[in-house]
Amino acid sequence: MVAETNESTVAGSSTGNILEARDLSVRFPIVDGPDVYAVRNFNLAVKPGEFVGLMGEPGCGKSTAAMAFLGLVRPPGVIESGKVDFLGNDIFKMEEEAARQMRGRDIGMIVQNPRYSLHPMMRVGDQIANVYRAHNDVSKKDAWNHAIDMLRMVGINDPDRRVKAYAHELSSGMAQRVLIAIALSSTPKLLIADEPTSGLDVTIQAQFLDQMWDSCRQTNSAVVLVTQDLGIVANYCDRVVIMHEGTIVEDADVYTFFKSPQHEYSRRILNLQREAQEAGESVLGKIDRNAAPIVEVKDMSKLFPIRASESKVHAAEHVDFELRPGECLGLVGESGSGKTTIGRCVLRLVEPTQGEIIFRDRNIADIRRNEFRKFRGNLQIVFQDPLDSLNPRWTVHQVLSEPLKLHTELSGQAKEDRISELLDLVGLEPSMRFALPREMSAGRQQRASIARAIASNPDFIVLDEPTSALTPETTAEIIRLLMDLSAKLGIAYLFISHDLTTVKYICHRVVVLYLGQIVEVGTKDQVFNHPRHPYSRALLASHLFPDTTNRRVDRAVRETLEGEIPSPITENLPKGCYLYGRCPSQVDKCRDMPQELAVLDDGRSVRCWRVAEGDLPEEPAAH
Amino acid sequence: MVWRFIAKRVVIALLQLIGISLVVFFLIRGLDADPVARIVGLNATAEAVKQATESLGLHEAKLQQLANYLGIFSSSGKDGIMQGTLGESWVTGSSILEEVARFLPITLELITYSLIIAFLMAMPLGMSSGTRPGGFADRFTFVWGLFAGSQPEFWWGLMFVFVFFFLFQQAGWPSAPAPLGRLNPFLTAPESITGFILIDAVLRGRFDVWLDAAHHLMLPVFTLVFVISGPIVKMVRQNMLRVLRSDYILYARSAGLSRNKVARYALRAALAPAMTLTAIIYGFLLGGAVPVELIYSLGGIGEYSIRSILNLDFPAIQGTVLIIAMVSLVIYLVIDILHAFLDPRIAF
Repeated sequence: MVAETNESTVAGSSTGNILEARDLSVRFPIVDGPDVYAVRNFNLAVKPGEFVGLMGEPGCGKSTAAMAFLGLVRPPGVIESGKVDFLGNDIFKMEEEAARQMRGRDIGMIVQNPRYSLHPMMRVGDQIANVYRAHNDVSKKDAWNHAIDMLRMVGINDPDRRVKAYAHELSSGMAQRVLIAIALSSTPKLLIADEPTSGLDVTIQAQFLDQMWDSCRQTNSAVVLVTQDLGIVANYCDRVVIMHEGTIVEDADVYTFFKSPQHEYSRRILNLQREAQEAGESVLGKIDRNAAPIVEVKDMSKLFPIRASESKVHAAEHVDFELRPGECLGLVGESGSGKTTIGRCVLRLVEPTQGEIIFRDRNIADIRRNEFRKFRGNLQIVFQDPLDSLNPRWTVHQVLSEPLKLHTELSGQAKEDRISELLDLVGLEPSMRFALPREMSAGRQQRASIARAIASNPDFIVLDEPTSALTPETTAEIIRLLMDLSAKLGIAYLFISHDLTTVKYICHRVVVLYLGQIVEVGTKDQVFNHPRHPYSRALLASHLFPDTTNRRVDRAVRETLEGEIPSPITENLPKGCYLYGRCPSQVDKCRDMPQELAVLDDGRSVRCWRVAEGDLPEEPAAH
Repeated sequence: MVWRFIAKRVVIALLQLIGISLVVFFLIRGLDADPVARIVGLNATAEAVKQATESLGLHEAKLQQLANYLGIFSSSGKDGIMQGTLGESWVTGSSILEEVARFLPITLELITYSLIIAFLMAMPLGMSSGTRPGGFADRFTFVWGLFAGSQPEFWWGLMFVFVFFFLFQQAGWPSAPAPLGRLNPFLTAPESITGFILIDAVLRGRFDVWLDAAHHLMLPVFTLVFVISGPIVKMVRQNMLRVLRSDYILYARSAGLSRNKVARYALRAALAPAMTLTAIIYGFLLGGAVPVELIYSLGGIGEYSIRSILNLDFPAIQGTVLIIAMVSLVIYLVIDILHAFLDPRIAF
C-alpha cells in the first residue's frame, strides 16, 4: 500500500468521482462597494482514494471553496451559482435534513483557527458529544464517554480531565486535535482539511497525516487538503490544485508540479524556495572556526517556579553552546523544548537559574543594570509576530529612531540618513518610512522589525521564530534577507525555529533540544544528513521537506515517535533518559540512567549512551 | 471560588458604600442652601431658627454631624447607621428606613416587570433581526428603535395616557385606568409583605386587588418597555450578527449539527452581553424612572428622592442615595455571577 504510486491506486479504484464541483461561484456583498467573488467558476473533481492538495496565496478563496463543498458559506456570503455533486447527489438541491446528516458523517471537515472554531462557552466534551449525537442514536452519557475515547485516540494526555476543558484552556495544537477527533470519528468518505496541522509539532503532524493517508488508501475515501505548506504537499498529495483569485489555475500531479510548475504563482513559490536555499549555501562556509567565540553559554539552566507548588518547570537544563562571529546557529525542537527560554536567557531578558553567558569575554550577569542598557545595542532580538512586536501607533520612522537615540550619537540629518540606509538594507521602499505597522504587509512588518534590530549595529541577534507567522512566500524572502545581512554585516544569529526547512537553509550548526536538554549538536550536514540521536532522527524523519524524491508515504519505514512530549515539570520528568518511553531504540537500562552529552569522533555531541558506545550505527537520514 | 468572589465583592461594595455616603454627606452640606429656613419659613424669629438648627443638629461641626449620622461618638444621643438606622426625615419626622421601605418596592416592582418583559421581547426580536438582517423583524426593530428612542419617556407616557385612557374612554372602549396611582381608591391595598403589590395580593388571596393593580401597572410598564427595549434589541441583534459569522457557528454547521442546536449555540453566546446591558439599565432606572412614576402618580423611590432634594431633607437624601447604591451593587453582583456561570472564560 505504502509503496504504490498514485496513478495505479487511483486508476484501479475509481469508477466515478466522490466530489465534483462545477462552475462554483461564491459572492460576498460589500457595503459601499462592488461585490467580491471569493470563488469564481471553480471546477474540481476528486476521485476515491485520492489525496488532493489545494494551494494558493492567502485570500485566494481556498477556504471559502472548501466550505462551499458542504453547501455552506460564512454570512453574509452567498453561493451564487454552480453545483457540487457528492457521490452523485447535488448538495445544493438536497433537503436541509439530508444535507445536515451528510455533513459531519459522510464529509468530515477540519477547519482553520481550531480554538475559535470551538464554542467558547461550552466544554469540549459536550461539543464532541453533540456532533456524535447528531449522527448517532446514543444517550448523552454514551456520547460523553465516546468523547473521552476520541480524545484518547488523537493522543491527548489525560482525556478524562481534558474532556471537561473549555476551548480557551487548550493549546491550539490540542484544539486542533479535538477537531481532528470530531472529523475522523465517523470515518467520512471525504475529508476536507483546511490547514489541519498548522498548530501542531512536526512529530504529531506526521502521525496525523500518516493516519489520514492510510485511511484514505485503505477505505478508498478521499482527502482535500487546503494548505500553504509545500512540504506537506510534496510528501502526501497525489495531485496539486493551485487556486488564484477564486479560480483554479493549475491542476497537476505532484511530481509534475514540482518539476515543471505552470502558473506564475507556482513558479514563484518554488523558485523562492530554491533561491533561499542557494542564498544560504553561498554564505555558508565562510566562518573562521578558530576565531574566539562571540557568545558562550556555559552550563545554563532555567527553572520556573510554579505558584503554590514545590515542583518547577524545567525550561532549560545544563545548556552549553557557543557562537563564532558571523555564524548562524540553529536551535530546533518542538514546543515545550525550551528554545525560546534559552534565547531570552542569552539576552538577559530572563535571568538564568544557574550558569554563565559570556559575551565577548564578559559575563553578562556581572554587568550592572544601567550599563547593560547601553550594552544591549550589541544584543538584539527579532520576534515571531511582527505586528505584535511593533508599537501600533508608531511609524517605521519612529520605530527606527528609538534604537538610534538609545544606542548611537546620531542626530539631525545623520540620523535621517541612517534610517534611509536601514530601510535600504532590509529592502523597504522609501515610501514605507512613515507607514504604520497595520498599513504594511506581514513581510514588510517583519522587515521593519529586522531593521530595528540591526539599527544599533549589533554583533549578535536572536531570531525567535522570525518566519513562523509568515506565508511560505514571505518566509523565503525573509530568509534571503537575513542571509544577505549576515554576509554584509557579519552578524551572528541564534536562529530559533521549529521549521527545519528554514534552519536547513541558513544555519551552519544546529542544536537539537528535547525537554530543555540538548540532545545533539553538530554541523548542518551532520544533523540533517546523518542524525545520530534517536530524537533527532525521528524529528527529521517527521519533518516534511518540499521534495518529491523521497516522499514520507513512499518510505518503507516511517520513523516517528509515540505519544507526545511530556510537560517539563519536575515530577513529570523521566528519571533516566528523557526520551525513555517514546524512543524506538530504548533498552531497559535507559530508564534509570541519566544521559550525558558525549563528544563523538566526528566532533558532534550526542546525549545518548547507546550512540556514544556505538550500539546504534550511523545511517543516512530517512528523509 | 464563587464564595470567595462574592466575599471579595461584598467587601469592595462596602468600601464603595462608605465612599458614596461620605461624598453625599459633604456635597449636600456644601450646597449654598439653608434647610432650616426651608423648615421654619422665611419670617421665623432668630430664636426659632436657632432652636430648629439645634434640633436638626446643624449647629455642630461638620465632623460631629458626620459622627452623629454614622452613630459613632454621637453627641445627640440618637442612633446612626452603625445602629442600623438612617435617621428621621426632617420634613415628616418619620423613620427614613420605613419611608424607603414603602417607596422603594413601588419602583422596584415597576422596573423589574418592565425589564423582564423588555428582555423577553428583545431576545427573540433581536435574534430574528440578527439572523435575517434586512428582513421584516429587522426593519420593524429599526423603525421602532428610531421612533421610541427619539422622544423622552414622559412624552410617550403622556401620549399613552391620552390615547389609551382618554381617547379609548371617549370612544367607549375598554380603556386604561386613570393615571392616579397603583390602585382604584375604593380598594384597600393588602397589608405589605414584599411591597410588590401583585405579589402581596396573591399572598393575601386578594384577587380583586391583583386584577386592579395589574390594570393600573399596565400603562407605566408599557411605557418603560416601549422606551428601554430599543437598545436591548439592538445589542442582541449586533451580538447575533457577530456570533453567526463566527468560526464556531460555521464549524458547528459543517459538523452537521441540527438547526436547533446551532441556534442554541448562538443564543448562548449572544445572551451574556444583553444581560449585562439589562442590569445596567436596571441600575439606571432605580433613580431614573421618575418621569414615569410622576405621570402615573405611582409614588416610587425616584419621586421620593426628588421631593427630599427639593425640601433639602438631608437625612432622606443620604438615605435614599445609600439604599439605591446598595440595590444597584447587589444587582451588578448577581449579574456578574450569572455571567460567570454562562461564560467560563470569566474567572472569579
